[in-house]
Amino acid sequence: MSRLLDVENLTLDFDTDEGRITAVDDVSFSLEAGEIMGLVGESGSGKSVTAKALMKLNASNAIYGQNTKITLNLADGPVDIMSLRTAKELQVVRGGAISMIFQEPMASFAPAITIGAQMVEQLLIHTSMSAIKAQEVSIEMLNRVGISDASTRFKQYAFELSGGMRQRAMIAMALSTNPKLLIADEPTTALDVTIQAQVIDLMKDLVKDFGMGIVFITHDLGVIAQTADTVAVMYLGRVVEKGPVRQVIGNPSHPYTQGLIQALPRLDDLDSPLTPIPGDIPSPLERPNGCVFNTRCSRFLGPQCSVTIPEFTPISHDHMVACHIYQQDQKGT
Amino acid sequence: MTDITNTAPSTNQKLKEAYFTASQGQLIWQRFKRNKSALAGGWVLIILILSGIFSPFLTPYDATIAGRDKDYLNGAPQVPSFCDDNGCSIRPFVYTYERTRSFKTNFRWVSEEKTGLEDRRYVTFFSKGMEYKFLGINFDRHLYGVDKGQIHIFGTDSTGKDIFSRTLTAVNTSMAVGTIGVFIAFFLALVIGGVSGYYGGKIDSVLQMITDTVRTIPNIPLFMALAAFIPDTWSSEERFFFISLVLGLIGWTTLARRIRTHLLSERNQEYVLAAQLCGASPSHVIRRHLLPSFTSYIIVDLVISFPYMILSETALSFIGLGLKDPVNSLGVMLQNVTSADVLLNYQWYFIPVIFFIVLVLAFVFVGDGLRDAADPYADTNK
Amino acid sequence: MKRDTLISATDVSVHYPINGGKLFGPKPVVRAVENVTLNITKGSFFGLVGESGSGKTTLGRAMLKAAPITSGIVNFNDGEVNYSLSNMDAKELKDYRARSQLIFQDPYAALSPRMTVRDIIAEPLEIMKLTSSREETDRRVREIATKCRLNLEHLRRFPHAFSGGQRQRISIARALVSEPKFVVADESVAALDVSIQADVLNLLKEIQQEMGLTFLFISHDLSVVAHICDHVAVMYFGRLVETAPTRELFNNPSHPYTKALLSAIPSLDPDAKNLAQKLEGEIPSPTNPPPGCKFQTRCPHAIDICRRDEPQLEKIGEEHDVACHRWQELM
Repeated sequence: MSRLLDVENLTLDFDTDEGRITAVDDVSFSLEAGEIMGLVGESGSGKSVTAKALMKLNASNAIYGQNTKITLNLADGPVDIMSLRTAKELQVVRGGAISMIFQEPMASFAPAITIGAQMVEQLLIHTSMSAIKAQEVSIEMLNRVGISDASTRFKQYAFELSGGMRQRAMIAMALSTNPKLLIADEPTTALDVTIQAQVIDLMKDLVKDFGMGIVFITHDLGVIAQTADTVAVMYLGRVVEKGPVRQVIGNPSHPYTQGLIQALPRLDDLDSPLTPIPGDIPSPLERPNGCVFNTRCSRFLGPQCSVTIPEFTPISHDHMVACHIYQQDQKGT
Repeated sequence: MTDITNTAPSTNQKLKEAYFTASQGQLIWQRFKRNKSALAGGWVLIILILSGIFSPFLTPYDATIAGRDKDYLNGAPQVPSFCDDNGCSIRPFVYTYERTRSFKTNFRWVSEEKTGLEDRRYVTFFSKGMEYKFLGINFDRHLYGVDKGQIHIFGTDSTGKDIFSRTLTAVNTSMAVGTIGVFIAFFLALVIGGVSGYYGGKIDSVLQMITDTVRTIPNIPLFMALAAFIPDTWSSEERFFFISLVLGLIGWTTLARRIRTHLLSERNQEYVLAAQLCGASPSHVIRRHLLPSFTSYIIVDLVISFPYMILSETALSFIGLGLKDPVNSLGVMLQNVTSADVLLNYQWYFIPVIFFIVLVLAFVFVGDGLRDAADPYADTNK
Repeated sequence: MKRDTLISATDVSVHYPINGGKLFGPKPVVRAVENVTLNITKGSFFGLVGESGSGKTTLGRAMLKAAPITSGIVNFNDGEVNYSLSNMDAKELKDYRARSQLIFQDPYAALSPRMTVRDIIAEPLEIMKLTSSREETDRRVREIATKCRLNLEHLRRFPHAFSGGQRQRISIARALVSEPKFVVADESVAALDVSIQADVLNLLKEIQQEMGLTFLFISHDLSVVAHICDHVAVMYFGRLVETAPTRELFNNPSHPYTKALLSAIPSLDPDAKNLAQKLEGEIPSPTNPPPGCKFQTRCPHAIDICRRDEPQLEKIGEEHDVACHRWQELM
């Protein structure tokens, strides 16, 4: 398994009417082929912005940091995403090597064109297939994602399908070009929990068959636990903890991750009280200095938390946490 | 956001607090101020409107026949100068002119300038001039004038009326007609669009059919027909109001449609439902929620309607079906420009056109700026 | 009706006609809620769970007289008044509005962006004329704002100054300012971040105990319902399929749908094996449902009788009812 995606020092600012907002601050991670990486965070964490940055899909007032480097390793060589400027250059990446599925499937399908027409159009842009072959491949994909009666559905419009089927159709469309990387932005959030379970199973199956890497963005830790191999937890634009899913969830080390897990209502312990994380997420206009979480941290150490940004300290081989508590332990107080 | 931990207030805090307590109107004004072209348009508009309102003071002569200069018909613009062959002076001056007729000029009356020192007419400021009434009080001071004779900085027309005076009063008249027309249209649109949007259903369908019917009537033939019905015996003021009324009666349809659309979407808002679940009466919902919600949009629509009213009135008057002397508007001023004589020789007749282009552009810039400020989500990829 | 029931629904159905369809003959209807019977005890926190198309929102609104009741009876009795919702005159309806309120789901859409927070919270008092002076209104607004843990200095701010969690608290304050007896919380925490959700839920529980309110908590999230509600009813496709006290429901789920719902919740343990069967398929078409049990299209245990007869609610334990032909065999 080779490194599929390398993200180094991704920094993204937005120039808005209210001032310059830092949405993503020095985020680094990497992804192997066949691996599902979860990007977990609440609102304002910057996870969606990070995902869109992989295809340079953010708004035109986005300003990337100078050290930002995103490398996609394809069969015929590495692609430096930051160096791609024009829409034509990016077309190779968008929809071809990288595909994206969204939270709201209705938003991703044009309402006045049939699903089949859109899937075929995507194939015609990115591959050299003939229209007939494209139709065959599309119907096959629809079948593969579990849509019964695929050839009829092919001719239907997005509004004729239920929510779960629309999401499957979107997955089919995203995968028909055989991308190496799939970005899934909250794909199950809008779905009923029983449908969500189906879609999660589907995605795991598809990874086994197609071998692509998935960046799975969500706020739902439970979904990540069931789906992902590795996870990165984001807060206010920074990654605070990352590592294999079992370790991050089994041994949460960053106070934010711990707080997040504690705040979840658990079915196996109905008596335990619900413990929220105190305080509110600061507005992006008021990002705290030092560690971004220090204003709400129950284990606030002292001045260094509000002045210095903590670096990553390994808890175990590939489980890293950015917190002064562990940095201190490491150095040996 | 609004945090529990409070640090010492600083200018930053004050700014943020101002942002948090700013109402929608204030937020819109902040956004509007950042738009340079809209702001410039706003200033131009204010200057022009004030010029129109204060035109009796700003212009030296009456814009009607009463203020004409018999000695200077079709006269070219007189630009005041400070220096000439006879030396310089602190006060600006223009030249006296004399009407002569002779064999040399083919017996046509011609005005000639006399450039002697004693022929200088010095420009005076805040000079006494012809009397005029403003807000019911008589004044006789004007912004500028000359010590003897008359001064025409934009020239005169065929009967000797000062074009500068006429321009400013034309701006005023057009604005007045536009205002009345817009408000009549707005009132009609509010009632029809409002009822349509609030009740929906069958009432909406019927009213929309009526709106569409009125909308499809071709404007110019309708104007012509209505204007041709005006009896000659009507005074110019009666004519003035009638034209405004006609413009309003024809122009309400677009505004009505917009109001209806705003209402249809606004009445489905959750906070409206919340009020209804408390037993709110329709009048409460309209007053507290619906009207404030589209005030900003309606202001935009109103501002954008103005240029259309002004241009419609100009077109009507130009073809002779609108206002007539002594009431003065751009259309009336342009009534006489279609002869070859004017086009070849008296180009200064067109100076008022520049004023009107500027006026309409100012409205457009301000209207666009207001629309962008009121609806920041309209164009997220600026 | 039991003596301490605050509000009860008996065989309530809500049908919406659909425009279009055939020109002659019966107009197609969507049976949003079909023959639902439930009782909510005074002072309880009653959970109503279901997925999309279950009709839970419609039922909640019907119990507030915000959706039309096609058939059946909804009865409200708080000791002072006794109303049957289908037969109220204008005066009674007005009074009912003061006694029952709704907390919306979307904190961003539920507050008018043009009103200050103080005005938003005061609006119900003004509409229902519950106070006689501005001072009294201000006092009550401040009281409820403090209860909802809102900073009093922020009352003069506009909604755009607040985060989702804070807005939801404003929404709650607005619903509670008229001191209602019955509050419907329609997915009130669904749009909130997890860390804030817990905060708002704790607030609701606190307020309920302090003010003696009765809550109908509508949610699709069983784990949230499990922690906060004392009684749960599960709806599927407009019908009530199971209802029981919370513990009982989670320890002994009897309807196949309830079991599937429970097993579908993703667990935090990556190694947890989901022993219960995962559901395949989707809900049937709302305009043309199959006869018999509406769950048959997805139920792994459907047999002939399920396709013929619609199961009725039957009592299987203490306050525990189930609508399934085969509940006993599947225990």
